[in-house]
Amino acid sequence: MAFSKEEMLGMYRKMLLIREFEETVANLFSQGQIPGFVHLYVGEEAVAVGVCSNLGDKDYIASTHRGHGHGIARGASVDKMMAEIFGKINGYCRGKGGSMHIADVELGFLGANGIVGAGLPLAAGAAFANKYLKNNGVAVCFFGDGASNRATFHEALNLASIWKLPVVFVCENNMYGISMSQERHQNITDVADRAVAYGIPGVSVDGNDLMAVYEAAGEAVKRARAGEGPTLIECKTYRHRGHFEGDACVYRSEDELNEWKKKCPIQRFSTRLLEMNMTTREELESIAAGVKEQIKTAVEYANRSPLPDETELTTDVYCD
Amino acid sequence: MSVGIIANPASGKDIRRLVAHATVFDNNEKVNLLRRILLGLDSLGVERVWFMPDYFGFYQRALDGLAGQGGLNMETRLLDMPINANQEDSRRAAKLMADAGVKCIITLGGDGTNRVVAKGAGVVPLLPVSTGTNNVFPVMVEGTVAGLAAGLVATGKVAPEESLLRTKKLIIYLNDQPVDIALIDAVVLADQFTGSRAVWDVGKIKQIVATRGAASNIGIASVVGGLRYISIADPKGMQVAVDEPGEDAPFYVRAAIGPGLVKRVPVTGYGMLGPEQRVAVRETPCVIAVDGEREIQVNAGERAEIELSLKGPLVVDVERTLAAAAARGVFRETRPPA
Repeated sequence: MAFSKEEMLGMYRKMLLIREFEETVANLFSQGQIPGFVHLYVGEEAVAVGVCSNLGDKDYIASTHRGHGHGIARGASVDKMMAEIFGKINGYCRGKGGSMHIADVELGFLGANGIVGAGLPLAAGAAFANKYLKNNGVAVCFFGDGASNRATFHEALNLASIWKLPVVFVCENNMYGISMSQERHQNITDVADRAVAYGIPGVSVDGNDLMAVYEAAGEAVKRARAGEGPTLIECKTYRHRGHFEGDACVYRSEDELNEWKKKCPIQRFSTRLLEMNMTTREELESIAAGVKEQIKTAVEYANRSPLPDETELTTDVYCD
Repeated sequence: MSVGIIANPASGKDIRRLVAHATVFDNNEKVNLLRRILLGLDSLGVERVWFMPDYFGFYQRALDGLAGQGGLNMETRLLDMPINANQEDSRRAAKLMADAGVKCIITLGGDGTNRVVAKGAGVVPLLPVSTGTNNVFPVMVEGTVAGLAAGLVATGKVAPEESLLRTKKLIIYLNDQPVDIALIDAVVLADQFTGSRAVWDVGKIKQIVATRGAASNIGIASVVGGLRYISIADPKGMQVAVDEPGEDAPFYVRAAIGPGLVKRVPVTGYGMLGPEQRVAVRETPCVIAVDGEREIQVNAGERAEIELSLKGPLVVDVERTLAAAAARGVFRETRPPA
């Protein structure tokens, strides 16, 4: 499809918003301003934005421990996300969940998840609900290469394929499960190969190419809405930062990191936009300035927000 | 008497599994294929085989299943080169193999893989084994047989004139500079990005230039083939002008533009191309797909042209090579097996 300038710059802005959000969180975490753990999405922005740009109101996404990018791509409020990461009461979980539990069901964001591979059956369930309700909605699950070794992956793909559920399984293959390189944790290099075992299409795409991801996800979503069942998309990508903030990354080399930084998805997309005369450097700088301001406002919002009161200790934790 | 092997670990996995019904060719199956190729080569007395290193590790895996190097009489070696996990690996490997004096390069991939290998192979003949998606250039051949054919060429048991074919190619010029080649077809698309590479939306096709075509082909060459059969040896090609979708085209060509993807392509005109004849790309900006993959982004104001050349890579004709070997008595022995 041909994109309008507005659409292209919209996707560019979203990737930049994720990058700025994550780099700001990294900075604040290093200053001790953020409690708990954070796993950052820097370098993988094209996957979340390329996939979520194909989704509508009735669709769901299920995320991972590295979920900030998915939330932002789905349209979550960066103010409320930042407040949640700060553990403040104005956050998505009223400050009790932190980074790995940010969710907004109204938005179709079934949440980040601290358990590796736990989003797969959740997405299959959401897809089942959509199919049952006949609302034409689809569900998307993001997960990593490591998660593709878990039983949840195989169970979810098995059920989804038997029941032809409208779900798209998006593997963000960033080459490492925590510190374990892919070559050490599975005897294949393309997670997409595993689709064959479930009789569904599996494709590998360059996860740092926004348009490659967009096209593959678009076709998979179309297929799901048409009642043709699930698809497995493997996006080959790389996280620029460690598994978690504070990770010394002794399991990978500087050279490898630098090679992947040259393939930065945001840089690649902006270069192409400039080549096409779709935008100007000034316009891109203006977008970047707006993004910076938006994240600054989010941090101020988080800082202003109070911590939960002691009396709230058990509120929203248990169901009545 | 050495042979090179370039196996593309990424072939057979792209979006055509989703937008068409293309075969998934997983890498473990390619490993089996490689073992059969090695055994075929070994049986004919090839002295050395060079492998391209790759991120999947075809070399080690293939040898693991053959009791390692000890399972073969010939020597096997891995090229000393970095792995970038992109198409540049195949081009560089082909160049290194040619420099090392290999007599034949066996490729595992589709049209796209062979296009890249051809850029580095120079005068070394290719034996292209199909493991990709759009496979006009490579052939469906059993691995053992491919190994035998390459072995016959490499050891000189069959002469080049009895085994090799000269193919054609297209040279893509951007602002008068050659920037790329295609072995089968170059397709001009009204597109903005290379994206997921494959071509499946007929509505975007503006022009087709091809070195050959048969109605039995899969991919854009089938559009050409639907108009006229052009063989691998015919010293000509074809250009086709494609109409806007929805316009009243003079006629349509029903063609298998992808696996399971039979489409009606609206044609406004077509013509034969002679050697060194250039076709101007009519509209920019556009994207040019070469051998089924969107590869070249042409910006507004740039000038692109596509030229037919009769100086494409040499390929091993498997059927003819084996027949020539049989006629020469290569397979006949009087000595009983040990």
